Formats: sequence, structure tokens, C-alpha cells
Amino acid sequence: MPQKGTKGTNRVSLLCLLCLFVAGFISCRSQSSAEVIITHEVLPQSPRVGHVAITLRVTNASRKPLMGARIKLEGNMSHPGMSPVFADALEVAPGEYRANMELSMAGDWVILVHLTLPDGSKLERQFEIKGVAPA
Amino acid sequence: MRVPIIGSLLKQRHARTLLQIPVFIISAAMIVHGLFGPQLAPKNLATTFTWVHFRGALVLVLLFAGNFFCLACPFMLVRNLVRKFVRPVRNWPRALRNKWLSIALFVAMLFAYEWLDLWASPWWTAWLIITYFAGALVIDSIFKHATFCKFVCPIGQFNFVASTASPLEVTVRDQDTCTSCATKDCIRGVREEAAPLVVIQRGCELALFQPRKTGNLDCTFCLDCVEACPHDNVGIMSRVPAAELTVDPVRSGIGFLSKRKDLTALTIVFTFGALLNAFGMVSPVYILEQWLSKTFGIHYELPLLAFVFALFLIFEPLVLIGIAAWLTRVWGDSGKPLLSIAVRYTYSLAPLGFGIWLAHFGFHFFTGLFTFIPVTQLAVGFLGEPRWGAPGLAPNVVQLFEFGFIILGLLGSLLVSYGTAMVEEVRPVRVFVIWAALSLIIAAGAFWLMSQSMEMRAVVLGSG
Repeated sequence: MPQKGTKGTNRVSLLCLLCLFVAGFISCRSQSSAEVIITHEVLPQSPRVGHVAITLRVTNASRKPLMGARIKLEGNMSHPGMSPVFADALEVAPGEYRANMELSMAGDWVILVHLTLPDGSKLERQFEIKGVAPA
Repeated sequence: MRVPIIGSLLKQRHARTLLQIPVFIISAAMIVHGLFGPQLAPKNLATTFTWVHFRGALVLVLLFAGNFFCLACPFMLVRNLVRKFVRPVRNWPRALRNKWLSIALFVAMLFAYEWLDLWASPWWTAWLIITYFAGALVIDSIFKHATFCKFVCPIGQFNFVASTASPLEVTVRDQDTCTSCATKDCIRGVREEAAPLVVIQRGCELALFQPRKTGNLDCTFCLDCVEACPHDNVGIMSRVPAAELTVDPVRSGIGFLSKRKDLTALTIVFTFGALLNAFGMVSPVYILEQWLSKTFGIHYELPLLAFVFALFLIFEPLVLIGIAAWLTRVWGDSGKPLLSIAVRYTYSLAPLGFGIWLAHFGFHFFTGLFTFIPVTQLAVGFLGEPRWGAPGLAPNVVQLFEFGFIILGLLGSLLVSYGTAMVEEVRPVRVFVIWAALSLIIAAGAFWLMSQSMEMRAVVLGSG
């Protein structure tokens, strides 16, 4: 005969397990994200409408270059009603990726970095290019 | 109302509710997505629908039809629902029965748009929509009639002024029928015979008595009067756009235009606010802000923005309208006081102001027309990968529309100032020339603004 309270205890255990799983999942994700450091450089430094070169340096926590990643950049205006512009970044040196992007309008741009690591895990970061001047 | 399909739809007793429900559902989706969706404006329903589609569709419907957005207002849907349970008992304070509060809120909204970068913030945009809902709900739960629409709502005031240039108006078919009407249901409402205090169909909640109503000012197109009229004598009629501004009869619920300084001030904010709002999107605004920042040593946006607003909404109209009124008195031989001249002729600027709003909002609407597709795909999640193609029409094509809208507005303003001068002045041609020159100066400013490259948009102040 099942003892009194077993059903409740089982539910609590299940809930704890679920919490542990979720906590573990979140910590794994954040650890993975924290391990990757991305710095960026935009040329020209005072960009105008048109072509800009964006260089990304991707390293792990111990500052070792992270090679073999796939990086796609997505540029969005701060105002709605615009389509994003996309560019693929190519690895030009170990851990150094470069993309050419066409900024189609003056103003503030938000650049999303979609990064796929060699192990298949995916990360997303963003940075801003403020005050792009008219051509 | 006699137009096939549309006419019969609008004649339905619950036509307004049927129009409000989809707008309410879209508004609710915008709020949820604005608060919990991606905080990148081009990818969020709240920002995309509000600042690209809603504003553009609003002005285009006002241009080609009338104030149908007030008709479909979702805030009133919620308010009507709550009023089934809460009966307001108070009257709006007498001191506030004018447009001054709503003008302040209109300016506050324009200011918040620039200061908080509302166009770039889904979260703030969602809160703006929530604030509208809450405002309509609270005010109309406490105060009787359509207090929120008539005295508070900034969008409503915008629509009222813009709809003076609309080709449609809610009006009576035959004045004689009204003269012989004993019940006046269009204003009193239809009441139960057995219990005269029980209203079964509302009359006009904005105090517009149809036989003495002139024009679209203060009319929300709610169609209560159409439904209440027992003689089927009220309908949506076509008319000459903006002609209502050339005449000055006693208007039901409004009085004489020439004595309403608050409505004049609203027209000023409407017209010069159109220039200001467009100025905020082009690069010379940075030059001005940086110059102000350097000159006064101020590096905070708030005081600089306040200065720019004062420049556009107080100093500029004061100087331009002041000079035009003075010339009307001196060269145009008008015997009226300066203030009376300014009050009467400022209404002639409303069509031009509307043209500038059309040009600005039309730009965003047409250049971003198709972006609702990928943004909806992103929001819904199960409609496949977002299809980011061309966002809309090419900017150089849309620029032609912009110039066309300004020219249309300018023509409207010229006709109104001519019509007004012909009725009111001993030297009408001279007076017309003066106010036409003012319209031309403002239109030139608008042309210059629209020919600047649009920036989506940064505020770069000096360091510190």
C-alpha cells in the first residue's frame, strides 16, 4: 500500500529535479557565453552612409583566439520601418573576423552579431554604431 | 452612408464596436510585444505599427475620407465596456472645458517623442499605449460625456484639426427636417418612453447639436447622432475640404472660431509642431543642438530640447504670425485688434500643417510599408522565417509624394486665407497676400526639411 504523502513527496522531488535541470541549463549557457569575448572595430571611425569595415576579435576567457567560428552580422536602424542589412564575416587571422557592411542610411545603427562556434553552439551579441553621417 | 457595402456596414447598430475590436486586438498585441518582445524597434510590433503604419494610415484616411480613426478608437471600446458597470456622475470642471490641457499634452507627447526616443523604444511605446488606455478609462469613469475625447486626448485634437481638411463630414441632409424635429434625439439621445431617464441610444457626447454643427472640429465620427436621429436625416456627406475654416458662424459645442484662442493655439502647435517633428529627423538638428550645447555650455539633452521646442512652438509662431497680423492691420487696413486678426487667420495654416504631417508620416509609411510582414512573422513565430525584402517604396519616389502633400496643404491654406479675407476685410487682396506670404514661408521651410536626408536618428552632443 502506498504510504501517506508519497505522492506529494514525489511531486516535490520531481520539481527539485526540474529546478536543478533548469538551473544547470542556464548556468551552462551563461558559462558558454561568458567564455567568449568579442571586441569590435569599425572603419572609418566616423562612419558615413555607405561602406564600413567591421573587424571582430573573438577570444575565449583566457584571451586565446577562437578560430573556426561562423559569424553573420545584422545591421538594424534604431527607427522602425527599415529592413536590416546583413553581412558574413570571414576569418582573416586566427580569431579575427572581418565583414564589409553597407549602411544605407544616416543615424544610429545596432549591429547584431550572430556567432556559431565550432562546436555548433550559438551566441548573439550586439553593439552600436552611433551617428552615421550622411554620405 | 449610401455607398454600397461601407454604407450598410456603418449603418449597423454595432458598426463602431465591430471596427474597434480588431484595432483593440492589434493594440493589445502591440503592448505585449512592446513589453516582452525584442527591444529592437524595427523588429517590434509596438514600434513598427505605431510609428510607421498607424501614423501614416491615420493621416491618409484623414486626407481621403475623414476622422475614421476616432470612430475605430480602441480606448473607447474599453471605456464603453467599463461604463456598463461604472456610471460617471461628475461634470468636467468648467475651467478645463477648453483645449489648453490637451494642447499641453500634445506638446508633452511631441517632447517625449524626442526626449525618450519613443520611435526607438518598444517598451516606452507600449507604455504610451497603456497610458492612453488608462487615461481614457480613468477620466471617462469619473466624468460624464466624452470628456477624454473632447478635452484631453492629444490624438483626438490632432484628428480634429486635421479633419478640417477632410472631404467627409457627419452632417444633416435636410435642415427643414431638423427644424420640424421635436425630440432632438441627435443631442439628447433616444430614451425609453416609459422611463425618460433611461437612454437607449446615446446622442452626441461631444455636445455637437447636428442642425447647428459646422465642420469636423470636435467630431469623432462616432455615429451616435446617425443612429439616434429618428428621421434618418444625419449621415456622412462629402464637402469641400477646409471650406469650414473660411466661415465663422456660431458652431454648436464650439462657439465662434474667432473667439477661441485655445483652438488657435492648437492650430499653431499642430502646424509648427509638424515642422518641429520633421526637423527632429534630419541632420541639421544635430548642428543646432551642438551649437546650443557649445554656446550655453549645456551638455544635457533636456534643456536643449526645451530650447528647441520653445524656438519652434513659441518664438517662431509669435514672430511670424505677429508680423502678419501687424501688416494686416497697418497695410491691410483691418480695423480689428492684433490678437483678433491673429486668432482668425491662424486657422488658415491648418491645411498646410496637415500637408507637412502627411509628408512626414507618409514618408515613414510608404518607405516602411511592407515591414509589417516580417515583424508580424517574428512576433507570431509560426509564420516561417521573416521575409526581409524591400521595406517599401523607394525613398526618391516617396519624396515626390512628400512634395505633393506639402503643395496640397499650401493650396488649401492659400484658399482658406483668400476665402477668409474676402469675407472679413475691406482690402481682401492685400490681406490675402500677407497670409499667403506666411504660408509660403512655412511651406519653403517644409520643402527644405523634406529635401534633407532623413536620419534614423542620433543625438550627438558634446562630451561631458
